[in-house]
Amino acid sequence: MTDLRPAELDISAPRPSPWRNLSFVWLVPILALAVSLGVAWQSFAARGVLIEITFLNASGVTAGETTVRFRDVVVGRVERVHFADDLSQVIVAARIDRDLAPYLDADAQFWVVRPEVTTRGITGLSTVLSGVYIEGAWDAVAGTPQTRFAGLEGAPVVRPGREGRQITLRSTDGKLITAGAPVLFRGIEVGRLDQPRLTVSGDSIVVDAFIEAPHDRRLTDATRFWDTSGFSVSLGAGGLSLDVESLATLVAGGIAFDDIYEGGKPVGPGYVFDIYPDEATARRSVFVRSSGNAVRLAVAFDESVSGLAPGAPVRLGGLEVGKVEALSAELRDTGAGPDIRLIANLAIDPALIGLPRGAGREEVLDFFEEAVGRGLRARLATASLFSATLVVELAEIEDAAPAVFDRDAEPLPLLPSVESDLPDFTATAEGVLERINALPIEELLQQAIATLASVEALARAESTVALPDSARSLVEDLRAIVNDEATRSLPTELRAAVADLRQVVAELREGGAIDNLAAAVERASAAAANIATASEDFPALVEDLRALAAKANALEAEELVAAATRVLESADAVIGTEEAKALPPALTGALEEVRATLAELRAGGVVENANATMASARSAADAVAEAARGLPQLSARLEALVAQAEGLVGAYGARSDFNAETLAALREVRAAARAVSQLARAIERNPNSLILGR
Amino acid sequence: MPAVGMENARRTQAFLTARRAGLVGCAVCGRVQAPGPATCLRCGSRLTSRDPQSLQRVWAWLLAGIVAYVPANVYPMLLTSTMGRTRENTIIGGVLELAGHGSWGVAAIVFTASVVIPIGKFIAIAYLALSVTSAVVIRGHGRQRLYEVVEFIGRWSMIDVFVVAILAALVRFNFAATVNPGIAAVSFALSVAFTMLSAQSFDPRLIWDAYEADDT
Repeated sequence: MTDLRPAELDISAPRPSPWRNLSFVWLVPILALAVSLGVAWQSFAARGVLIEITFLNASGVTAGETTVRFRDVVVGRVERVHFADDLSQVIVAARIDRDLAPYLDADAQFWVVRPEVTTRGITGLSTVLSGVYIEGAWDAVAGTPQTRFAGLEGAPVVRPGREGRQITLRSTDGKLITAGAPVLFRGIEVGRLDQPRLTVSGDSIVVDAFIEAPHDRRLTDATRFWDTSGFSVSLGAGGLSLDVESLATLVAGGIAFDDIYEGGKPVGPGYVFDIYPDEATARRSVFVRSSGNAVRLAVAFDESVSGLAPGAPVRLGGLEVGKVEALSAELRDTGAGPDIRLIANLAIDPALIGLPRGAGREEVLDFFEEAVGRGLRARLATASLFSATLVVELAEIEDAAPAVFDRDAEPLPLLPSVESDLPDFTATAEGVLERINALPIEELLQQAIATLASVEALARAESTVALPDSARSLVEDLRAIVNDEATRSLPTELRAAVADLRQVVAELREGGAIDNLAAAVERASAAAANIATASEDFPALVEDLRALAAKANALEAEELVAAATRVLESADAVIGTEEAKALPPALTGALEEVRATLAELRAGGVVENANATMASARSAADAVAEAARGLPQLSARLEALVAQAEGLVGAYGARSDFNAETLAALREVRAAARAVSQLARAIERNPNSLILGR
Repeated sequence: MPAVGMENARRTQAFLTARRAGLVGCAVCGRVQAPGPATCLRCGSRLTSRDPQSLQRVWAWLLAGIVAYVPANVYPMLLTSTMGRTRENTIIGGVLELAGHGSWGVAAIVFTASVVIPIGKFIAIAYLALSVTSAVVIRGHGRQRLYEVVEFIGRWSMIDVFVVAILAALVRFNFAATVNPGIAAVSFALSVAFTMLSAQSFDPRLIWDAYEADDT
């Protein structure tokens, strides 16, 4: 029996989907994971490139701390410091920013920057606090990236990426060349020297230098380098000269360069510049430069070559064309026994004797063969006037003995020589010196000294010194005379006297005593005539005085003293005479008399006393006449005195207050003289007016 | 039920859970009430007999905490620059350096707070979460105590973060000395926060359900 039962259904509630009940909280770990992975990925992606730099020592480099910098910007960090397998080097593993990795190609350089004190200053001071760092330098051109680099011991002279040019310099003396020393152009630093090194052969020192752009354009084959280290002192005809470059080059050395001539051609790579010991040598080097293809000749001298040394120049027409290379003696067997000749080997530079560039030995020998035919000979000459060193001079001698240029002589072609004129010159020089020596210089000097002494004595003499003083006293005397009251009052008194006379005459006229007057008038006119004759002499006298003054003017300096003295003496005499002194009082006295007479006349009865009056008038006229007779003389004397004094003053020249005073005094004297002569002239013109009042 | 009594002989005492009694206990105030209302009659908090999503949340927060703990240890915690030199210290690096200087005590504290406690918490929470669904060694009371310890100690893990925060705020002498927090500080703080949330998410009543399951 089949008990058909339906299969049991497995009935169960549908299992809830596990996703349905999923909490939102699950988002948190997913987010956290995403963020963490993101951060991790980012830091991994941004992680720099690991490079290894080898150093001989890594003093101060610390893993994890020491930074790698490029242009002073941190671009990486040292991760590990370890040794190479053979312990010979330190390997510094550093991680550099990924951006810069493409530039780390073969030209990248690394060095450790430490504090450094040099003559050019202190560098790397910041590393004292922050610790050393590794500086990298590379150019801006991406190349094949590398991960292993050899570190430098110090900062390189030429940093990759700097514009400029690296050149090689050669010197024979490395004493004053230090690494890092500046290269100067007209005193400006335009480059640096690298580490100097010996060449393989050891005979010279080679140093690389870097010349910064744009100064590297100046480098041509006309460029010469010279050493500016230290200082140089030279004593020559131009005096003492002391050359010091900058203080830095004084201590650390330095190299300067310049173009010696214009139009140098650019030099190609591998060109080696020489370093000359100083600027003068460098500038001269243009003439001795290409001695590489020098042609060698020999000269035989029969005379002594003492003073000639290897290296002495060979000159042609004063220009250096070569050098003496060696000196030797040669024994030659002549018929009369062995004969010693002295042989000088010369090296002649073909370029310097004007042969075209690239001229060879044959061309030079041809040139000399032809030149010897024209009379070219070698001879010894002194290098300079005062030195005993000799040079070889190639000169064309006019009347030289015929000789040939022996171009096939062994071992060198032989250039004919002539006897030098050395001794002659010495003799001439000696003769000149002797003659100079023989000059009576001492006597000459003695005489000059004596002359000067006498001149001095003359100048110091008392009389010379006193001269101005006596002149001054003369002037003072003169002024005293002029200022004298008596002299001054003279004209007024005269006038008064005349007025009085006139009055008397008028009274007389009225009184009818005219007849009696005739005699008096006669006398008065005689007196006036006297005055006139005296006055006539005036012009001549003045002329004489003028002549004298002119003569005094024309007198020479020595005579001036004498003349002046004479003038003074005569002036003294004039002033000193009793006459001169007494003159004014005498005149005054005369006038007084006249006045007294007139007063009497007036006082007494006019007519009664007429006779007496006439008599006294006559006597008064007499007195006037007498006084007037003296007047011209006085006037003349004064004039003479003035003229003399004027001459003297003129000789002295227009200067000093003495002069001014003298002139003033003279003016007064002249005014006085003029007044006197006017009076005299007036009397002369009309003698009667004195008496008649008309 | 003699068998039951025999089985539970080593237990301190037998007990009745609210669930078996057909009641619902409030997780916040502890009031036991009849099922029906969605919120506690006394305190008003959400009322569930058992949180069905509790374990999910525990695992999720725990995973987040573990994920955050990785960068916290890999990346530097402190960036110290002294006189121009910059140093970076991870948690373990700092501990080792302290130990290297001979400060064993401080090193021990930092190590405990930053390494032992977080990792211990991860293990403890994972163990508790597992114990709900699988057979485990520790019995109910031990697990309850473990849960309480984990909850209590969680906050102390933040000590490292506080140290970093205080240092970074105080040490600011420019060139002479500067302290900056690193990525690890943030990660570590997040990790601790996540584990605390994980522990919070755990419904301790599940311990006892499992306990009963063990019995039957």
